[in-house]
Amino acid sequence: MTSARFFRRTVATLTVALCLTCQLASGAEPPATPPAAPAAAAPASAATVPAAAPAGAGAVATPAPAVSAGPDTSTRALDEQIQDLKQSVVDLNRDLFVLEEELLFPANTQVAVFLSMDVGEFFALDSVTLKIDNHEVSNYLYTPREVAALVKGGVQRLYVGNLKAGNHELVALFSGKGPNDRDYSRGASTKFEKGVGAKYLELRISDRVRSQQPEFEIKDWE
Amino acid sequence: MIRRIGPLCVGAVLFTLFRPTLAATAIGDLAPDFTLPAASGGNVRLSEHRGDVVLLTFWSSHCAVCLAQLEALSQLQTTYRSAGLVTLAISVDDDMKSATQFAKSHPERFPVLFDRLKEVGRAYGIEAIPTTVLIDRRGHVRYVQSDYHGTDNSYVARVRALLDDPL
Repeated sequence: MTSARFFRRTVATLTVALCLTCQLASGAEPPATPPAAPAAAAPASAATVPAAAPAGAGAVATPAPAVSAGPDTSTRALDEQIQDLKQSVVDLNRDLFVLEEELLFPANTQVAVFLSMDVGEFFALDSVTLKIDNHEVSNYLYTPREVAALVKGGVQRLYVGNLKAGNHELVALFSGKGPNDRDYSRGASTKFEKGVGAKYLELRISDRVRSQQPEFEIKDWE
Repeated sequence: MIRRIGPLCVGAVLFTLFRPTLAATAIGDLAPDFTLPAASGGNVRLSEHRGDVVLLTFWSSHCAVCLAQLEALSQLQTTYRSAGLVTLAISVDDDMKSATQFAKSHPERFPVLFDRLKEVGRAYGIEAIPTTVLIDRRGHVRYVQSDYHGTDNSYVARVRALLDDPL
């Protein structure tokens, strides 16, 4: 039911985007022509005015602001249309993403694993291997930029998949550089029960100052 | 005997004709993203270099031509680094030890990456080494060249053209 709603919204947004595109395509033509016409007409009036009277110079000068205001207004309108179109595309992209998520990972089977890192002085993360029920579901290599983002407080969605209801086991293997720049590998595991709703698990890497060692834990978000 | 071999031959011919081809990357395609471990430590992800012109070279430590090309690429990288050229040398060696030794003994001016499982090589449809792949600032494959001749610098002109192309 919700998928159908999202689909309808997506189609509606797509229609709006297409309408705007058509409008944009047809609206792009008229603004180009008005400036050309006065420009072509200007020399003719300029040629005739000096012969008539000096006041004619004022007559030539007065229409000028009207001529310059035209393109400005039309450019602004065009710019607004472009911004609207961009917004529609962003909205459409968001709706499609949500729709895709809902179709591929329905809430009743969805399992998502997140990874967060606190401080990271005793552990430089290199890779995480994730196993669910002894099947490897993810093996992720981290670049220095990603590690920096995690240390700053970022949370990464490491894995999202489908699991049937029941008891399952999650094993996470972390590797990287530990204290004193030594190769360091640790594992963490948890058993969890998948119910009817979506399941969220978080892998946490934090520093244990007392033992000068990193700590790995898995938090089950109820 | 012929009755037995006949269907096998027909099967072999059919397999040759309709064998499943790898989805190799074509010119203009979005370059497949990858993350590979580097010889110098850490990992390198291709998509983090979006906005730069990326030159991938697939090589092996047992290939003399590859080593000559790496020397040339080192000079190219030095010249065009400031203009936004990023060179990634991807080793497809089976034995990572020899590749690691080579990487340490030749501290080139670009990362040497290890494609141990050959996944990246397959994604790019690499059939010979050395193979050079040029990726533009938008992340599209623009040029693929297999083999290398010392006098052939055709990709240098292409690198310059891509560097001149703004994002």
